[in-house]
Amino acid sequence: MSTVTVLTRTGRAEWGRIWSVRSSWAFVGAITVAVVGVGTLMGYDASGDPAGVPPGASAWDAGRQTAMFALFGITAMSVVTGAADDGTGGIVPTLQWTPRRGVLLAARAGVIAATASVLALVLVASASVVVWLFVPESGLPVRAGAEMLAGLGLVFGCGALLGVGLALVTRSTAAGLVSVLALMLVLPLLLAQLGYPWAVTVAAHLPGAGALFLVFGEGPSDDMTTTSARLTLAAWAVAALAGGGWRLLRTDANR
Amino acid sequence: MISVRSLSKQYGSVRAVDGVSFDVEPGKVTGFLGPNGAGKSTTMRVVMGLDRPTSGTATIHGRRYVDLAAPLREVGALLDAGAMHPGRTGRAHLRIGARSNGIARSRVEEVIAEVGLGKAAGRRIKGYSLGMRQRLGIAAALLGDPPVLLFDEPVNGLDLDGVRWVRTLLRGFADEGRTVLVSSHLMSEMQLIADRVVIIGRGRLIADADIDQVLRGLGGQRVRVRTPRADALGQLLADRGVVERTAPGELEVTGLPASEIGDLAHARGVPVHHLAEVEQSLEHAYLSLTEDSVDYHGRPAEPIANGATR
Repeated sequence: MSTVTVLTRTGRAEWGRIWSVRSSWAFVGAITVAVVGVGTLMGYDASGDPAGVPPGASAWDAGRQTAMFALFGITAMSVVTGAADDGTGGIVPTLQWTPRRGVLLAARAGVIAATASVLALVLVASASVVVWLFVPESGLPVRAGAEMLAGLGLVFGCGALLGVGLALVTRSTAAGLVSVLALMLVLPLLLAQLGYPWAVTVAAHLPGAGALFLVFGEGPSDDMTTTSARLTLAAWAVAALAGGGWRLLRTDANR
Repeated sequence: MISVRSLSKQYGSVRAVDGVSFDVEPGKVTGFLGPNGAGKSTTMRVVMGLDRPTSGTATIHGRRYVDLAAPLREVGALLDAGAMHPGRTGRAHLRIGARSNGIARSRVEEVIAEVGLGKAAGRRIKGYSLGMRQRLGIAAALLGDPPVLLFDEPVNGLDLDGVRWVRTLLRGFADEGRTVLVSSHLMSEMQLIADRVVIIGRGRLIADADIDQVLRGLGGQRVRVRTPRADALGQLLADRGVVERTAPGELEVTGLPASEIGDLAHARGVPVHHLAEVEQSLEHAYLSLTEDSVDYHGRPAEPIANGATR
């Protein structure tokens, strides 16, 4: 039996794991409310003064403002989903059913990251459409939307992979959430505020700073570029996944 | 066939399994026995690829479990009934297992019916009793209708009806020619269903034999004799076998058949009120074999004096 077949079956099983527990649906509900809700409020606010829309701006720009809500939501969802097996002992039947751990790692990371990223992109696009419905004058050019969503896709994908990786490293929902919150939000903000050059440099190399730069074009350091931000975010995602993969592949299950 | 060869597993400073080798043959129920902490569960976890052996191998039909592409079709196992996501329904749990091994969804309903979960399959696992979780775990083991089955304490938490069901199930699997390895602390249960036993203690193999051999291996058949002249009969038999005074007027003799004891007593005019072979039990054999291998001993609680409180 080919590895592709095993990977496909394992991917289908991972899909089933995500949607057979309430927490996933709760995350979808909460992220939807946050992202589309903020988009609605932004659209409602702008509808009172359509002339206030900056020249050249489109509804996509307003939708982009909701991306950080989506990013935090799906990253947390990825941690909770990725750590569920280890937190509940479910890793025992999982590894009995899929003993090829490399295949399990690929399927788990791929399915969770793809699901979370698509969810976030759909919600950000929905928020943009909602803004456009309130302010049709803002426009909704297809090309600009495609470019924005492509850029955000990388951010969401890396955020979700970071979440899965940290979940596999920590094997704990609580520890995974604390880690991801520190790396994405707390440390970038606090270090940047310290004022020391080294602290700003460190902050600029944390995944949260990379995501912030790619979403808003601003970061803790003036030296940041789109390329450096992408590399920072991708490197953290790869490193977390490598650490989680090492733990899954090389250590005993549920110990 | 499950083959374990020179298997060792070290957790930090603790050697949980130490050079264990045995085979589990098809067509038999093989009981896996040992005191708490003996290394039974660890051995099963290594066989199932959950833990990496420090040295040695564990194979199923010559292949490591981790190399199996569709393991549920080759090996079914219940290792820890509590190890399931509590927020999932029993049916969803089984469907995920079926999906991961390319098993038809209809098979899920078949095993649900087979283990008697019925309507409970639609409820979340966190609401299950231990017995229901055991049934769900057994259902998962049966999903792929595998030729090899491993069960770690499968009757824990089951009611009498459930125990009888598991007994029939395991016996039936062995009679179909499947390989069945089952660990249990219930010696009476093992004596009823096991054809062969593997006993380990402190991580080492103590016995690997047919159950009859284990029972016979206790120093031979024992005979209980009750007589008002126990001292005289004891002296008479002492040269021919091992005699033990078990109660006033009662002896247990090892190494002599009941007929010979009766003839000797009759020839010397010693009255005998009771003469019978002592039924050998696996529990007795097990305790005898593992008495030096128990890590965790209990002791009777001390009586509380009148008026005292703990």
